[in-house]
Parts: sequence; C-alpha cells; structure tokens
Amino acid sequence: MKKAMKGNISLITGSVMVAITFSLLILSFIWTPHDPLEVTPDDSFAGISSKHFLGADKLGRDILSQIIVGSRVTLLVAALAVTIAMTLGVSAGITIAVASRKLQAPMVYAVNIALAFPAALLAIILAAVYGASTLTAVSAIGLATAAAVAQVTRRTAYGILASDYVLAAHACGASTWRIIRKHVMPNLRASLLIQASAVVSVSVLAESSLSYLGLGTPPPAPSWGRMLAGSQQYIFVNPLLAIWPGIAIVIVVLGFNLVGDGVREVFDPTLRRSDS
Amino acid sequence: MSLLEVHNLTIAFGDKKVVDSISFTLEKGSRIGLIGESGSGKSMTSLAIMGLLPDTATVSGSITFEGQELIGLSDREHSHLRGNRMGMVFQEPLTALNPLMRIGKQIAGPLMIHKGASLKDALGSALELCTKVGLPDPDRVLRAYPHQLSGGQRQRIGLAIALACEPALLIADEPTTALDVTVQREVLNLINTLVDQEGSSLVFVTHDLPVVSIMTENIAVMQLGQIVENATVASLFHAPKHEYSQRLINAARVAEDAFSGTGGIK
Amino acid sequence: MNQPLLEAINLSRTYKLAKGSAGKGKAFRHALIEMNLSINTGDRIGIVGESGSGKTTLVRLLLGLDTPTSGSVEFKGQALISGKMPWLRKDVQIVFQDPRSSLDPRMKISEIIREPLVCLGIDEDHDARIDEVLDSVGLERAMRDRYPHELSGGQRQRVAIARALAPRPGVLIADEPVSALDVLVRDQILELIAQLTDKLGLTLILVSHDLSVIARLCNRVIVMKDGAVVESGNTREVFDRPAHEFTRALIGAIPRLPESL
Repeated sequence: MKKAMKGNISLITGSVMVAITFSLLILSFIWTPHDPLEVTPDDSFAGISSKHFLGADKLGRDILSQIIVGSRVTLLVAALAVTIAMTLGVSAGITIAVASRKLQAPMVYAVNIALAFPAALLAIILAAVYGASTLTAVSAIGLATAAAVAQVTRRTAYGILASDYVLAAHACGASTWRIIRKHVMPNLRASLLIQASAVVSVSVLAESSLSYLGLGTPPPAPSWGRMLAGSQQYIFVNPLLAIWPGIAIVIVVLGFNLVGDGVREVFDPTLRRSDS
Repeated sequence: MSLLEVHNLTIAFGDKKVVDSISFTLEKGSRIGLIGESGSGKSMTSLAIMGLLPDTATVSGSITFEGQELIGLSDREHSHLRGNRMGMVFQEPLTALNPLMRIGKQIAGPLMIHKGASLKDALGSALELCTKVGLPDPDRVLRAYPHQLSGGQRQRIGLAIALACEPALLIADEPTTALDVTVQREVLNLINTLVDQEGSSLVFVTHDLPVVSIMTENIAVMQLGQIVENATVASLFHAPKHEYSQRLINAARVAEDAFSGTGGIK
Repeated sequence: MNQPLLEAINLSRTYKLAKGSAGKGKAFRHALIEMNLSINTGDRIGIVGESGSGKTTLVRLLLGLDTPTSGSVEFKGQALISGKMPWLRKDVQIVFQDPRSSLDPRMKISEIIREPLVCLGIDEDHDARIDEVLDSVGLERAMRDRYPHELSGGQRQRVAIARALAPRPGVLIADEPVSALDVLVRDQILELIAQLTDKLGLTLILVSHDLSVIARLCNRVIVMKDGAVVESGNTREVFDRPAHEFTRALIGAIPRLPESL
C-alpha cells in the first residue's frame, strides 16, 4: 500500500515536470517574449527585469526566449534517441533471447562491445564524418543507449521465456513469433516504459554535454547545453546565466526519471500481488 | 506463568486485518500447532512473536513471552530474544540462509552475538550442533556454503541455528513443506527428538493436518485471521466443534482412505 | 498386437552442468536413464517420485517440449520431433503445477483458453468452445473477461484445465496439479479431474509426489527414483504390497492421522 502511494507521488511529481517541459515546447511555437536570436548590445548581461524576465546573455539575447525555444532541440533529441534506442535495443534484445544457444554467445559479446563504446567517441566520429549537427548527436546517443536497452531487454525477456506460461504456450502449439507477440511483449511493457524514461533522461543529458562540447546542435539555434557552455566564462560574474538552462535540464531529466520510477512502482507485480 | 501468552492479537495491513483478535497460551515445554490455509494468518502470527513483521503492519493486543510484553518492543530489544530465547525454522531453508557465508559461521553467529562466545568456541559448538541434528561429516558441512547442501541438510542447518542458544521457544513455520516426503519424515522426527531433549516449547505452523497431528498435542485451527477452534489433537479428531475443522479433517481422511484402499473416487 | 498410444523407448535425458559446479571438466546430470514406458488408450497412469527423480523431465519429453539425449517418444507410432507438431498437441495436453505461473498474467481468461484453439487451428466457433469448457470445469462464463490475478488458486487451476481441454485432447497430462493449492481446494480439483477423465474418456498421466492423489485417480502407478523406474504395476497392488525398498520408504514416511472413533 505504502509503496504504491509512493509510486504515485513520483508519478505525479514527474508528470508535472514533464508537462512543464511540453508546455514550453508548445509555447515556443506560439509566443516568446523576444526573438531568441535578436542581439541587443544595450542589454548585454542585463539582470532580471520586466523586459528580460530571466535576464539576457552577453549579446543581449533574452534568456527566457532561448530556454523556451531550446526545449525544441531537447525534446526532439529525446524523442528521436528514444525511438532509435528502443527500436534497435528491443529488437536486438528479443532476438538474442529467442536465438539458439550457439548464436546467443556471439550476439551477447557484440552487445557487450557496443556497451563499452562511449557515446561521446561515437559522436566525435559521426561529427567528424558528417559535421556536428543535432542529427549526429541523436544518432550517437540512440546507438550508444540501444546496447543498454538490448541488454536489459534480453535479460527480462529471458526470464519471461523461462516462465511456465510460455512453456504452456509451447504446449498449446504456439509459434515463436506468437509467443513474442502475445506473451513476451505484453509482459515486457512495464520494463520497456521504465527503460524509455531512462533513455529520455540520458539522452537529454547527453545532448547537453555534446552541445557543450560543440558536438551537438550548431549555433545559432538555441540549445540548453550550448547555453550552459556559453555561460561558462561568466560563471562568477553572472552565475544566473548558467543556472537557468541548468534548472531546465534538471526538470526534464528528473521529471522523466520520476515517471519511470512511478511506473515501476505501479507496474511491479511483486508489489501488486501481495495477496499470497 | 505460561511461557507464551497471546491475547487479542490483531495484525492489520492498512484496513485489512490478517489476524483478528486471537488468543492462546503455551506452557513451558508444551507444543501447539497453528493450522490453516493460505491467508489464515498463521504465518503472520509466528512472525509477530518473532518481531519480524514488516513495518507496514499495525499490531495490537498483547504477546507476553517469559513475562515480558513483546508488542511495542523496539527491534533492538526484540533482537536480544530472537535466536536466543526464541528460535525459528523457516519454510525454505535456502532463502533463510546467507548464500555467501559458510555454514559454520552461520551457526556460530547467534552464539557469538547472544552468548558472547569467541569464534573458536562458537565453531566448536557448531560442530556439536551439526552432529546433534544428524548431519554426516560435520567438519565438511561447516566449511560448505548453503548451495552445496541438499534441501534436507539445509533444513537441518536451519534447525541447528534455531537451537544454537537453547531457546525456550522454537517456532517452525512450514518447516517441511519444501521437502520430499521421505526427508520430511526425517526432519519431523528430528524436531520431535530435539524439542523433547532440550525441553523447549514448540509452535508448529502448517497447512498439513496429518503432519501437525503427529507433532503437537494441541491444535489451533485458523481461518481468515481467527482461531476457530483450539483443542487437543485427540478431541479435535474425535469431535471437531467447528465446521471448518471438520472439513479439514474430512479432506485428510479422504486422502488417507484413498491411499489405504478403503475409499477413493473410483 | 495393439500399438500403444504413447510410448517412451530407451528414453534418456542428460543435462550438462555449468562448468566449475563439480570440479574440473564437464559434469553431467542424468535426469532420465533408459526409460521404457507404454501407455494405452484409457490408461490412468500415476507417476510418483521425489524431487530429482526425473518425473518432470519425463513429462516434458512426452510432450515434445524437450529433446531426448537418446531414445525416442512415439505417439500413435509417429516419433516426436522438435517443433510445433500440431498432430501431437491436438491430442496431448497438459496442466501444470502452479496456475499462478502457468497462466500469463497479462491475458484475459478467454484469451488464455483461446490460445490452443488458435494455435492448433481448431475448426469450430472458438467463443462457443470457450463457454463450453468454462461450463465443464465449473467456472462462470462471466470469468471470460477477468485476469488470472482476480481469481482464486482453485479457479486458476480450473482455467488451466479448461485450456488443456479446449482442443478436445485424448490424453491429459497433469504435472502435480494440486500441490500448489490449499488443502480444501485440492479435493475439488482432484474430483474435477476424475470426473472429466470419466466423462471424456481421457487417457490420464498424473505426476505427483503424493501417493494419495495417485491412489484416488490412477489404476496404474510407476515409482521413479534417480531417473529410473523402480517399481510399476496396479496401483492397489503396489501400495498394498510394495516390492521395492524405496516404495516402502515412501509409504512409511506418510504421517498417519490419529484413529477416529
């Protein structure tokens, strides 16, 4: 009982935080206080004022407007990276889980090697070949996290495949494909939701880091990671410049993490089935 | 003064009562069986005596053990009794034992904690205990890890740990349910002998009527958190007062008759 | 000579143990050793044994859910191969021990019972058949839309029996069908299996560690130990006059109730 409540609290807090991010995204298409790219030298390092609610950067660009528009990159990255990571990771994980023993070992090694490959290195390689862009960052993040998703999916699917109800399905004459569709996927769902929320958090952070390193979204399009990078020089003079994008990143990452946590508490059958 | 007095014990999770105002007493050296199906509250009762209920449980009523009130005791105070004055044997010995610790240290643990024995002395006593619970080659057993032993051997270890400090009360919660029939019989016989030898009292929790009828002289039949009947084995089998006890006895009789050829479905 | 319905011929199954669990080199566990068994139509065979006796391995091999190391299983003279084998599955069905794990928690009862009908391509109105089997196992038709966790242990096992009976099999294998259930529910489920076996003229293979369960339902019994048969024969004769030492030990270990008046 207590745990389910706790799950709901994470779920509610997380959902609110995620909702804030999405509101920013919608808002970015409707209204921003200023043009986020508008350079006004007079407002350089302007503090909090009625003109610039969150102040302005060195070039006098409005911070609030940049944060609002920056949500586009962040959520685009999150959405694309999740799609790549989950599609690749889940199909690879399930394929390995249902493969014959002999084929399993090399595939597991391949996943382990992919796991050991750092996302930043992949991003550098992609950026070197194709030029740094949101797309190269997304691909690098998606590919790098796919291995982790594959790993978790494989383990969970393995447990499901070893269960009595899958054995019973075999005894009913079910094909492997049917077992994947009807038994493995539905029982993986909770675990997949949790993984997806983790991938969102990881990719938002990774995009910020990559943009910070200059391997992500190129200027002038505002991105939270690059805003953070740009504010680095002025951190002691004007700490607010670093704090605002920092808060934005924390809200998204924490929000999706809490949603993931909440989902786990709600879905976890060991917590729910307390009757026996 | 009785060794154990349970009075109006109620255990609830949220607004769901799993044990509903039960009372029974156990004299020094005597035995009681708690029998019931899943959800009857029998295991919760034994956990309450051991002070092992989860934090989410709300407990009311009274449990006095050797004159001391157990309800409201802090976990720290309760742990002085656990493994010392009262020992417990669990259903699945594999999960009750620490998989990463050698058997010797696990048996020695309670002796070192409660009796202040040195590791060397405690291991010496552990060796004796292993012999006592009928384990062959006790030297090897002490050096083994739980997974290297069979189910029956692990349950003997569980018994050795529970009895290490010569407790006044032994609680056995479905101690043989996970075991094979032939091994079950050996373990039951062992519990019988040791409890007699040590002069301990026994609370035997089970769903199995034939098993409890050979283990204890009194049986408390539990259903949905309540004790519906508390009687001696003889009077329970000769004249069960509650309809539920009657049904349990009938089920056991049908099985026995089927086996001995005097009944059966066909 | 009449051909047996289901036959195990020199059936062996050896498992390779993980390295290191038993010293150097490869270790093996012989779960089933050179087993021969023939089951005729209408037989009610009990297989009794303790853990590690090979009874569960035998069940999986008889169902073609596992591949023997050597030897073979034949159903109506046709050898079992690995794969879907609808010809076998239509006729040989199983009820597992614990309905909490043998029913997919994310499937409705109707979907669970529908599974064999769909997978085996049974050519009849599936919904009507589902209602019919629910009736025959004593469950309300309204249970169709429930999930397993909403049912009691006994009801869940009835669903498992309904699933097994849905494709109208001739052979029912029950692997410890009542040992995960409460005492009072056991009786009802055993009664149900007995009744359905009679009514549908099933060939029954019942695996149990509980001699009284075998005694109630089976006319033949096979006692297994360490992967081999130690004794077999008419249930009454084996239980009344056990020939093998192990059978005697099994019987002697059963706690007896105090005499009634």
